[in-house]
Order: sequence, then C-alpha cells, then structure tokens
Amino acid sequence: MKQLIRTFSIVFLVAFALMYLTSYLNKSQGYSGGNTLTIYNWGDYIDPELIEQFEEESGMKVIYQTFDSNEAMMTKIAQGGTTFDVSVPSEYAISKMKEEDLLLPIDHAKLPNLKHIDDRFLDLSFDPDNRYSIPYFWGTVGIVFNPELLDGWQLTSWNDLWDPRLRNQILLVDGAREVMGFGLNSLHYSLNDTNEEHLQEAKRKLGELTPNVKAIVGDEIKMLLAGEEAAVGVVWSGDASEIMDENDKLDYVVPEEGSNLWFDNMVIPKTARNIDGAHAFINFMLDPEHAAQNAEYVGYSTPNKDALALLPEEISGDTRFYPEDAVTEKLEVYDNLGKRMLSHYNELFLEFKMHKK
Amino acid sequence: MNKTLKWSNIYLVVVFAILYAPIVYLMVYSFNSGGTMHSFEGFTLEWYSEVFSDTRLLIIVLNTFVIALLSAAISTILGVIGALAIRHVRRRHSRNALMSFNNVLIVSPDVIIGASFLILFTMIGIRLGFTSVLLSHIAFSVPIVVLMVLPKLQEMSPSLIDAARDLGASSFDVLTKVVLPFIKPGIFAGFFMALTYSLDDFAVTFFVTGNGFSTLSVEIYSRARQGVSLSINALSTLLFLFTIVLVIGYYFINRRNSRPAAKEGGR
Repeated sequence: MKQLIRTFSIVFLVAFALMYLTSYLNKSQGYSGGNTLTIYNWGDYIDPELIEQFEEESGMKVIYQTFDSNEAMMTKIAQGGTTFDVSVPSEYAISKMKEEDLLLPIDHAKLPNLKHIDDRFLDLSFDPDNRYSIPYFWGTVGIVFNPELLDGWQLTSWNDLWDPRLRNQILLVDGAREVMGFGLNSLHYSLNDTNEEHLQEAKRKLGELTPNVKAIVGDEIKMLLAGEEAAVGVVWSGDASEIMDENDKLDYVVPEEGSNLWFDNMVIPKTARNIDGAHAFINFMLDPEHAAQNAEYVGYSTPNKDALALLPEEISGDTRFYPEDAVTEKLEVYDNLGKRMLSHYNELFLEFKMHKK
Repeated sequence: MNKTLKWSNIYLVVVFAILYAPIVYLMVYSFNSGGTMHSFEGFTLEWYSEVFSDTRLLIIVLNTFVIALLSAAISTILGVIGALAIRHVRRRHSRNALMSFNNVLIVSPDVIIGASFLILFTMIGIRLGFTSVLLSHIAFSVPIVVLMVLPKLQEMSPSLIDAARDLGASSFDVLTKVVLPFIKPGIFAGFFMALTYSLDDFAVTFFVTGNGFSTLSVEIYSRARQGVSLSINALSTLLFLFTIVLVIGYYFINRRNSRPAAKEGGR
C-alpha cells in the first residue's frame, strides 16, 4: 500500500512539475495574454521567421497549428470547439466551405496590400470577387519525368503519355478530377467539360493508357518517383518541386494542351475570435517582401506579382513553376460541377481504375 | 541439445534484428548532415540543436508527457475501483455482462472513439484542448487497467479475506492491507499499459486536440506531408533513450524489491 501511494504521489508530482514547466515556457513565449492569433495551416507551409516577425510588428502572439488534408481541416472547423482565426484551404474546399457557411467575408478595406496580387489570380469561379479568400500559393498539374531513364526524352504534352515507349512506366495520383482532367485536356477539351460525349471519349482514351500505367497511388508517389521506381508521374507542381528537391535528375513540365490551375487561399473561418488580427496577418502575408521570403522558403509559386519581382531570377524565371503567358492562358481552375456531375466524374474514374486490372 | 540451442539463438537474433533495425536506422540518420534519409553524408549535431531551439516542439513533448502521466494515474485509480466493483457483483451473469462491456471498449476502433468524443465535447460545450485530450485518454485507458487488475483479483483466494476478517480487520484494513498489496503487480502493469497507450495514441487524440494544444503523435503526422525533417529523428532518438533509461531503472527497482522476498521464500 505504501509503495502504491508513494509511486502515485511521485507520478502526480512529476506531472504537475511538467505542467508548471509548460506554462512557464508558454508564458516566456508570451502565449498567456488574450491577444493571440490562431493559424491553421498545412504542415511546414510558412517560413517560421515570418511568424516571429509578425509577432514583433503586431504585438500579437501566434498559435500555429497544422493539418494534413482539406477534409480533416473542414471537419475540425465544422465541428466548432476550436478558435482558428486564419486557415489555408484549397480552392475546391473553399467553395464547399462557402456552401456550408463556414467562412466569414473578408473586408478588403483592411487589406491595402491586396493590390500586389496579380489580377489573373483574383475573381475566380470558386470565389467571385474574393469575398471569402485571398490567394496564398498556386500551382499546376503536370508531368514529372526522369530523362535519364527515358534516354534523354523531354516530354512536352499529355499525348506523350500514350507513347508505347512508356509501357508500365507511369504513376498517377489517385484523383478523379486530375486524371479525367488530363484525359479531357489531351483531347483539347476543357477539364470542366460536362458534355457526355466528350467525357465518354476521354474515358475511352484513358482506357488505352492502361498498359502504360504502373500504378495509381496516393501521397507515396513523391517517394516512388524520387526513388526512381518509375520514369513518369502525373502530379501537382507542389509535389513536383519536393520530388525535384530530393532527386535533381527529375524534371517537370506543364503540358502544352493546358492543365489545371490550383490554389491554396487564406480564409477566415467562422470560428475566428480575433478577426482584426486575422486581417492584419493576411495583409502582412500579402506584403511583397514577406510573400517573396515565404515563396523562397516553401518553394511553391506565389500569386504576388510584386513579390515575384523581388525573387531571384532562378526562381521567378523557372518556367516550370512560373509558366509563360502562352501556357498560363490554357490553365483552368476547377469549377464546382455540382454533386451529380462530380459523382459522374468519380464513376468514370472508377471504371478506368477497374479496367487497369 | 546443443544444436537446438544454436537454432533458437539464431532465431532470437533475427527477431531482435527485425525489431530494432528501424529504430537503429532512424537513430543513425538523426546524425546525418545531408538533410534526407536517402544517403548519409556526414556527422552533425545540427538536428539535436534544432530540437532544443524549437520551443513549440518542446512544449508539445511536455504536453504529451503531462497527458500520459496524468491520464495513466487517474485511469489506474478509476480502473482499480472499477475492477473491485465488478468483483463485488455476486451474480455470474451480470458480472460477465459488465466484463463484456469493458472489453467492447478495448476492441472498438480508435477512430470511432475519437469521432464520438469530438461530437460529445462539442455538443456539451467543452473547448477542445488540454481537458478534452485528458478526458478522452482517461476514458480509453480505464478498460485496459480493469483488464489488467481483474485476473489478479480472481487469482486471490477468498479465504485470505475471510482470514483477515476473522482476525478482526475492518473493511478498510482488508482493502489496504490484504487486497491492494496482493493485486499490486496488476495495478502497475495497468499503469504502464495506460502510459504507453496514451503516449502513442494518434487516432483519438487527432480528433480532440485544438486551440494550440497538440501532442507529439498529431504533430509528427501533420509534418509528414512535407517529408519528416531529421529533427524528428533526433527527437525520437532522445525519447527512445529516455524510455530505455526508464526500463533499466524499473529493472533495478524490481530486483531490489524481489531479493528479500526470495529469501523469505527460503529458496
């Protein structure tokens, strides 16, 4: 009995000592006051120095939390119980959150730095007039390839994927819109096409691709491509830059037929408490110098045209991630096709996946 | 005889190699100056200094330990009381039913438990954070403690209690001087099981963290999207060494305690 009491007293003592230490650390970091700003972002998606800088300039303390998928983030916000002031969902998630009334409108008068954003990235179909979201990073869907494994062949178009030389060499991301999208693009249709004939045509064409497809995979596609398990992969440009960081033999191309343009935008969830702070933070991130610093750290493409001018030539001149106008014009943002059309896309993609075996 | 011994030795070596290889691999790369797990480029302590300079990560580690210690201790107390109560139920049917309810909670998937806690907490208005994580960890640890303590209770001969009563012990004396010392190993086993469950639980914790409060498992998972940094390797190495020290300490305490008992047994 004595031993039990002694052991458990020690356990409680240690726990409370640790708790005291945590609160001391929290206090020394300044997290105790009411003046905090909670940011909910993808893991490692901001330069930590910028957070420190923002804390110094605004006097606010930032609580930074991370998520790994739009779906997880939406569940947390929809359930309430948390107070996230700023979050960074992707474009399809934004239109979904808008429909479910999870976002607060953004007051443009509080964002003088909004003028630095390139007009091309404003007022898009998923959020007209940018009432609820401000661009953070953008990117494309394209082809990562390994010229060394392909005898120096430089891919340039979606139609190259059908080449018999690529037999059993292609990895695809497991996304209905992405795969159906390049099927449509390869036929020079829009990737938001809802014409049944065009969709069937795209599906037939994708069916012919199956001998070349090695696998349809999730996030591990980055690891597989960097490890040279396959010569070609269809991925998002953000993933591509990470893959190329790990293995510099690889190259990335935005196909000439056109492709998808994706966004991660800053929003203010309806759970926000510190709405002024959220606006101040968004405005801070829109400042060209801060946006440039962030783009250099994260490695994704910035929508901030004045930040682009500040970036070194080797980044801003990289046409793989900042494509020329001729390519950009052909890029399309996913429209919200509605539930029925979306499940039709999913069905066609599923049929394609079943044909594979 | 000699031959079988050899084979069993080889088998043991292989098993332990499989068990420890990933950990050794992770530890070796925590000293890699290259920055990735692909190739070892040179020795550096950079990742360790990064761990200690990252206050946010340290706070998360401390949080993880506070939650683990508190939830394990509280759930051990609750679990022991629960096991005593189940033992007290006279009718065989009801006792089995209670046991089954206890076991259902152990085998039900963590995701389901986590999601139900999320819904419950938001419904009754508990803000997600320290309290919600602590409560849910206590909740999923109690059934484990019960399961560890009950067999010990069943092992105990009822005549022990009868004898104590005949010698004039009150109910409280019976509990503290006879029952609790007898089931002590079960209590400790339950405590350590609860501790490890709480330390590495991801699925439940993921749902109920919020407002700046996070634990290690959730943090590492959300970092994994961008590729896990080697500072996580460094941190894992430190935690692994820490647990090794704990296990060695536990071993020595046990040896010291069991020696006099062995003498008393006359062996």
